[in-house]
Amino acid sequence: MRIRSLAKGAVLVAVSAALVTLLTLLGLFGFVYSVSDGGRNWNAPLSEISASLTRQEKGYVFSGEDLLQGRWAMLLDEGGNLVWSFRKPEELPEKYTISDVASFSRWYLEDYPVQCWIREDGLLVVGSPRNSIWKHNLEMDMENMIAIPGWFLGFFLLSLGSVLGFACLAARRWFRQEQQIRDAARSGWINGVSHDIRTPLSVVMGYSAQLEAAPDLSPENHRRAGAIRAQSQTIRDLVNDLNLTMRLDCAMQPLRMEKFMPEVFLRQLAADFLNGGMSDGFEFEILLPETPLPVLQADPFLLRRALNNLLSNCVRHSLPGSSIRLGAENRGKELLFWVEGGPAQSAGSRPVSSCTLEADGGAAHGTGLKLVAQIAAAHGGSARFSFGSSSRCELWLPYRCKGKS
Amino acid sequence: MPYTILIVDDEPALRQMLGEILTQAGYRVRAAGSCTGAMESFMKQIPDAVLLDVMLPDGDGFELFGRLRQKQELPVIFLSARDEDEARLRGLGLGADDYITKPFLPQELLLRLQAVLRRVYRGAKESVSRLGDTEILWDQGMVRRAGQEIPLTAKEFALLRTLWENRGRILTIDVLCAALWPGPLIGYENTLMVHIRRLRSKIEAEPSHPRYLLTVRGLGYRLRREDEI
Repeated sequence: MRIRSLAKGAVLVAVSAALVTLLTLLGLFGFVYSVSDGGRNWNAPLSEISASLTRQEKGYVFSGEDLLQGRWAMLLDEGGNLVWSFRKPEELPEKYTISDVASFSRWYLEDYPVQCWIREDGLLVVGSPRNSIWKHNLEMDMENMIAIPGWFLGFFLLSLGSVLGFACLAARRWFRQEQQIRDAARSGWINGVSHDIRTPLSVVMGYSAQLEAAPDLSPENHRRAGAIRAQSQTIRDLVNDLNLTMRLDCAMQPLRMEKFMPEVFLRQLAADFLNGGMSDGFEFEILLPETPLPVLQADPFLLRRALNNLLSNCVRHSLPGSSIRLGAENRGKELLFWVEGGPAQSAGSRPVSSCTLEADGGAAHGTGLKLVAQIAAAHGGSARFSFGSSSRCELWLPYRCKGKS
Repeated sequence: MPYTILIVDDEPALRQMLGEILTQAGYRVRAAGSCTGAMESFMKQIPDAVLLDVMLPDGDGFELFGRLRQKQELPVIFLSARDEDEARLRGLGLGADDYITKPFLPQELLLRLQAVLRRVYRGAKESVSRLGDTEILWDQGMVRRAGQEIPLTAKEFALLRTLWENRGRILTIDVLCAALWPGPLIGYENTLMVHIRRLRSKIEAEPSHPRYLLTVRGLGYRLRREDEI
């Protein structure tokens, strides 16, 4: 739909540009033609002026004063001598050489713009006041003359291309603005809803945790309180993931890049995971290489979020009592973080699958793993997941993450 | 004398729940639902710590934080439904002691509140602590075990203080090294192990089989709480 409207816009712009160019050119030519009358006649045709000058026995008779309209005229014989004149400026000579004639016939005579008309009895010269007419002598090689249409077409296409280019830029900008407005609205809505959910969810989580810890509660009610608490935590995680995934989706999450040592980061992450009681009932192990890993440049907040999601995912899908392993390895230009868990809770019924999630996630996976893939992509890396009797999730990150958002 | 905590949140149900949790944990609780109420309560009696919501009906929690801090330098933890980095960074950047995003588990809140209180009021309310049969005499920088007073070196004291303030929690070797040797954290792991071994010999009955100061393989160390034994 968007491509079609973009194409329609492009055609519209192209047609408009062609029309504007044609009209401009036509107008220009029309104007030049109308004011210059083909570049020959400034006020009245020379032929008429010449016709109004007749030779009689006593001399020349001129009846075309009205045609001259403030101009002057003179007639030279074959030898360049003045034989007749009308309002001729005094400073002009009465005898002209061949070179004088050759010069003023093209240019000016003592700065007077003049026109010439060949008659049987000589050369009629009609002059206008100084600075009243601009003269230009145009000469062109025939080859160039023939090439003019090609040049014209080339310039026309160049102009059209420029107009189209600017139009495309403007259209892209407009689409981006539209997208930003839509993203901001979506972000605002999700932010608002998640904000409103958080406070009541705090109350639910608080009371359910209190009930779960109450010593006088029956085992059945204890189990129910535990379920409410656990499910509330799941909703909390979903709300958190939803917010961040949306911000990453709309490129609204700025990457705060820092340089840090992966081992230090991973040990703290593991300590927080264990301190938070998330791994209760599981064996936890952290595996780091003996050789120190190179310094990593990444957004520690987002990276922590991604690895926490992988650990939580592992806890959620592994059988209690099974082991959870967290580690990092140097793989050339990339750093590999991995989380392993298992056996899975429903290992028997769960098919073995392996995939690399793109930043837009996959419908088969929850927001948690989609978020991991988005965070990896935002760092210029990738996330790979394999599920079966046990699970392994990998996060590949370049050491020098450039960041995409 | 228990600590007094002022809860400032516009949601009555949350104030009620927080009040119950904190009271059960042994704190004295006062609550307010607005900036005005919080200032009134604050002026009547200055609490030991404040749990402060960011969005209040008559003002901004960040602004209230500034007003409270002008009156008294006391620990403040923001409790907010806003999880954006900007809000969290602003809260912490203003000098808040912690920023907890709603929703949270009561245990998480209590642990973080305890950590803040221990850090701010270290030594002010506790000069002697007990770790099993061992007494820690903070003022004198020594431990007393089986009637014998054993002095701690400066590093051992700092190590024990850090572990005590975070007892029950795993502290990574990096955190402990940073507490003992400010600056780049390279090459201190073995020295830390030596200090841990010496500290164990002073606080543990059987240093080779420690009951309190435990090693968490690959990560760091943990000082167990009395109720975990």
